[in-house]
Amino acid sequence: MADYDEQGGKLTLKLVYYGPAQSGKTTNLMRLHDLLRPEFKGDIMALETHNDRTLFFDLLPLGFRAPSGLLIKFKLFTVPGQIGHDGTRKAVLSRADGVVFVADSQRTQGVNNAESFDNLSHNTQRVGIDFNKLPLVVQFNKRDLTNILSEDEIRQRWGKSPWPLTYSSALIGAGVRETFSALLSQVYRAIEGEYALNSQHGVGEHAFVTAALGETAHEACA
Amino acid sequence: MSAEPLPHFDREPELRELLAGLDGKRLLASLRTLLGAHVRIASTHDDTVLGGDAPPAQRARQALGGELETLGYLETAAPASPQLEAAATLVEMLIKGVQRYHMASDLHLESVAADYEKLQRNHAALLESEARYKALAENLEQRVTEQIRTLDTAQRQLYQAEKLASIGQLAAGVAHEINNPIGFIISNLNTARTYVQKLGETISFIRNAQDIQRAAAVLIQQDTAFLLEDFTALLGESAEGAGRIMRIVADLKGFSNIDRAEEELADINQKIIQVCNVVRNTLQERAALNTDLRELPLVRCYPGRLGQVLVNLLLNACQAMKTYGHIHVKTERLGDEICIRVSDDGCGIPPEVLPRIFDPFFTTKDVGQGAGLGLSVSHDIIRAHGGRIEVQSEVDVGSTFSVYLPLLALPKE
Repeated sequence: MADYDEQGGKLTLKLVYYGPAQSGKTTNLMRLHDLLRPEFKGDIMALETHNDRTLFFDLLPLGFRAPSGLLIKFKLFTVPGQIGHDGTRKAVLSRADGVVFVADSQRTQGVNNAESFDNLSHNTQRVGIDFNKLPLVVQFNKRDLTNILSEDEIRQRWGKSPWPLTYSSALIGAGVRETFSALLSQVYRAIEGEYALNSQHGVGEHAFVTAALGETAHEACA
Repeated sequence: MSAEPLPHFDREPELRELLAGLDGKRLLASLRTLLGAHVRIASTHDDTVLGGDAPPAQRARQALGGELETLGYLETAAPASPQLEAAATLVEMLIKGVQRYHMASDLHLESVAADYEKLQRNHAALLESEARYKALAENLEQRVTEQIRTLDTAQRQLYQAEKLASIGQLAAGVAHEINNPIGFIISNLNTARTYVQKLGETISFIRNAQDIQRAAAVLIQQDTAFLLEDFTALLGESAEGAGRIMRIVADLKGFSNIDRAEEELADINQKIIQVCNVVRNTLQERAALNTDLRELPLVRCYPGRLGQVLVNLLLNACQAMKTYGHIHVKTERLGDEICIRVSDDGCGIPPEVLPRIFDPFFTTKDVGQGAGLGLSVSHDIIRAHGGRIEVQSEVDVGSTFSVYLPLLALPKE
């Protein structure tokens, strides 16, 4: 449910990093803040407890201006992973335009991943989002650790699902851009029709993704 | 909870809203001191947000940045300076602090609302399941009552069947008992008919005889003396047979009122004699039946039902016989009760079976031989009399069933 402010010339998209506790959601955001070079990039607003665990959410604002002058703004949120914060997760998930599910690749985390994914599907429906139409990317994080599920094993379990799979080591920054990029493509396809991004604002899918990543942002917005 | 929808925590508040959380007067005063000139904070549409007055004629301004975009401007009458930039940075930091606080508190409210909504949903689900269980419980009571009624009916039918079965067994014996005398009574009557014929012939011979000698000769020739003698014997035998039938029928009458639910004062010994007479024929092929009946006071009881108990015990004793055996019935008064003992020297009851013999439907007999209700029904009947039934048994030695009946009045049913 993108927030389109016609008068202010602004389209705000809410993207949420979901997943079990300590799977690396905040780390994803921190690396994106370091790696991305979009036209506009804000500071990360973190609301954490004294032991660095996310209490409410983290927020990274990004954006670029379309050739039409429309400001396309992304707000990247994380949710707290701990089971007890379900009300907060639901509130953050409300009105989301896309979700990255950050799974923990460690063999010991299978149950936590499954429970969290189940919680995601349950909560999307609770907050009035059609889970089947929600742009979603499943990221298997912590590939740098040992005792993790192999890509074959992951493909066996998730290969039949309709969502793109990505692999990452957020701690060293590998794969986080690719994950974000995969999500951007999906989000674009989901909202393009409604906001006429291509026809009225001159933003195609490629331009949309690259501008958000900041790869060729200036060309795209030239 | 208020019905008003909560503001979304991730909405983008305007500058005015963000500054509302701060003490505007002190902020302005501090800014004025820092910059040494008149100060105004304006929105992106050039509306005054803080500072009250119209925009200064000569002004320098510095943008106040939000997440990404400009939220407004800090303006001063003094020319642009590093101090203005520093002041704007300070205001931005203040605004970010306020925004952080706003987002956190709004998110908190949203999450509390979500939790509350979940609680309410759970509560509603609980109420619903409670209602379901309540309905089930009410329904259950009714269904149990119905089931009990069905079982009750079935049980009554089974008891009725059991009664009919023991009566049927009796009837076979009784039929035999009655058939015997009837057989010789009919045979005697046939013989009597030929005797009457012969006597008629003799009388007509005598009537036609010319002289007394000839008549006497006919009488001798026809052996009239033997005929009359035998005729008398025939009649005597037949009368005795009829008497036996009469007695059997009278004894049977004791069973015809099995269902009479009125208690009466009865002579238990008399009752036992009746029952023994009725079943004697059934028993006699397999066992000798003897009785030792001591003097007893009259007992208030349901005689028909006690008769049924006795028949059951006697038939069981008879069925316990592997070879020809003995059945002994003894009555005596023991203090405030009377005791009826039925002993046999049959196969006995194994100890593992003994505790179950009074259970309904428990039977060791072959299918079709009995429903397993005989002793159960007997037990119930004795209980209804305020009495008890006990059993002692040893395998291959025999069994003794003892029925104790109180001499006090029957408990009201």
